[in-house]
Amino acid sequence: MIKVNNLTFSYTKKSFIRDLSFSVFEGEIFGFLGPSGAGKSTLQKILLGMLPGYQGSAIVNGTECREHKSDFYESIGVDFEFSTMYDKLSAKENLLFFSSLYGRKSRSVDELLRMVGLENDTDKRVSDYSKGMKSRLNFIKALVHDPKLLFLDEPTSGLDPTNSRLMKDIILEEKKRGKTILLTTHNMQDAAELCDRVAFIVGGQIFALDSPHNLIMSKGAAKVSYTWNDNGEQTASCPLDRLSEDKLLNKLIAENRLLSIHSSEPTLNDIFIEITGRTLV
Amino acid sequence: MRAICRSFLHMLKFIRHDMMLFAALTAPVLAGMAIKFIVPFIEKSLIQFTGMNAVISPYYGLFDIFFASISPAMFCYISAMVMLEEHDDHIDRYLFITGLGKNGYIISRIVIPALFAFVTTAVLLPIFRLTDLSAAQIIFLSLTGTLQGIIIALLIAALSSNKLEGMAVTKLSSLIIFGAAAPYFISSPFCFCFSFLPSFWMGKSIYDNSLIYMVPSLFVGGIQIIILQRKIMKSLI
Ligand SMILES: Nc1ncnc2c1ncn2[C@@H]1O[C@H](COP(=O)(O)OP(=O)(O)O)[C@@H](O)[C@H]1O
Ligand SMILES: [Mg+2]
Repeated sequence: MIKVNNLTFSYTKKSFIRDLSFSVFEGEIFGFLGPSGAGKSTLQKILLGMLPGYQGSAIVNGTECREHKSDFYESIGVDFEFSTMYDKLSAKENLLFFSSLYGRKSRSVDELLRMVGLENDTDKRVSDYSKGMKSRLNFIKALVHDPKLLFLDEPTSGLDPTNSRLMKDIILEEKKRGKTILLTTHNMQDAAELCDRVAFIVGGQIFALDSPHNLIMSKGAAKVSYTWNDNGEQTASCPLDRLSEDKLLNKLIAENRLLSIHSSEPTLNDIFIEITGRTLV
Repeated sequence: MRAICRSFLHMLKFIRHDMMLFAALTAPVLAGMAIKFIVPFIEKSLIQFTGMNAVISPYYGLFDIFFASISPAMFCYISAMVMLEEHDDHIDRYLFITGLGKNGYIISRIVIPALFAFVTTAVLLPIFRLTDLSAAQIIFLSLTGTLQGIIIALLIAALSSNKLEGMAVTKLSSLIIFGAAAPYFISSPFCFCFSFLPSFWMGKSIYDNSLIYMVPSLFVGGIQIIILQRKIMKSLI
């Protein structure tokens, strides 16, 4: 679906994206996870053919991005970070207009509006929409022509938990309908929950690329922490897979002296910090 | 093609929501009526008052040139305003990555309005003209007037980053139509200072009653359009 090879790009003379290579397979949700300014949106823009001044190769749907023709966009849906709507027109007028720009058969606008709970606000002007409503509307705008490939830039950022949940459910639903989805996020929970594979991006570089599960497993095995009383509360920990080698723990167990014991898996966040040396915010 | 038509029709709908732009649409007819009916009336009064044979009638050709400049300038100004508003709302960038595409967008916002401007001018100029323009002169003035309108639209789009700046740039860039007055009022070697303006050659062509000046006019206009268009294509991301 997407094949990137030795991609190099910079807005200025200073080098930014250097020698990136990765692939996105059909039917998967692929995530760019990284802090703000990492280059996630820039990468999406390159893949959308908006920044043709790159070196190397970036092939989307069999087309080299910098050489795309206008039918390139027939099978691509995009949800930018910011709202891109005519404020003076109603939600429905906006969607109908954007869907009329494609040659493909379009999806029912009313159904899409219902899907994100905007069925009672279809005739309201977009300028009267709240931020959350605009995000949802902007998102379904990417779906009007039923594209095979979806680019979502920070689809859940700025949404309250309810709307964020709704958005994630719809993204997973679209995946079930066979779409390939490439999303960016700085939220590791969303990445872990949605993505089949994630790429850790900092400073225009990919530091790791794997499924969230493998990334978590590859680094830091789960740890067991325990406490006991010995002239005050004492704490110790040991890797989960070496419990039998921990003499103290085994002794405490034999003597029933443990006050507490629990295991903790590292989160994608911990892994991100460990691999890139950066936090996600 | 379908997307381009939709995009153009959508712009018309958009203009209907905006009183100021909608009013600008009627400007060509209003200006035409003013030229056709008020200017000769003033001339008559002036002749009576001063006792001269002619006061403004030697410059009637200039009025025809201005009329040929007005419809395209208005139409292209309206387009440029719509483009700026779409730019403010990030909509242009989105349209580039739909079935419309960057080229489709430019066609629906500049090329089609320019075609309409050309036809409107070619139809209205014979109605509102003050001098005996030949058919060839009418076509020539409509064509160069249209090029000038495109240049104004591109200047607005290239030099301003929002609607407010756009208004200011409009006032400045519409000054380019006054190059037509140079051959009438400035003597020979000096008036060529304005030869970089298509309107200068429009003026020269009508003043000297010679169609040969059509060539430099189209040439100068064409070059400016190509340069501005390149600049805009690059800046529109
Ligand atoms: N049009 C531009 N011109 C110059 N620099 C830019 C431009 N757009 C983004 N940048 C810079 O590129 C870097 C990456 O930006 P971006 O891709 O938007 O990051 P992210 O989406 O990961 O937050 C930032 O440092 C940003 O300032
Ligand atoms: Mg971004």
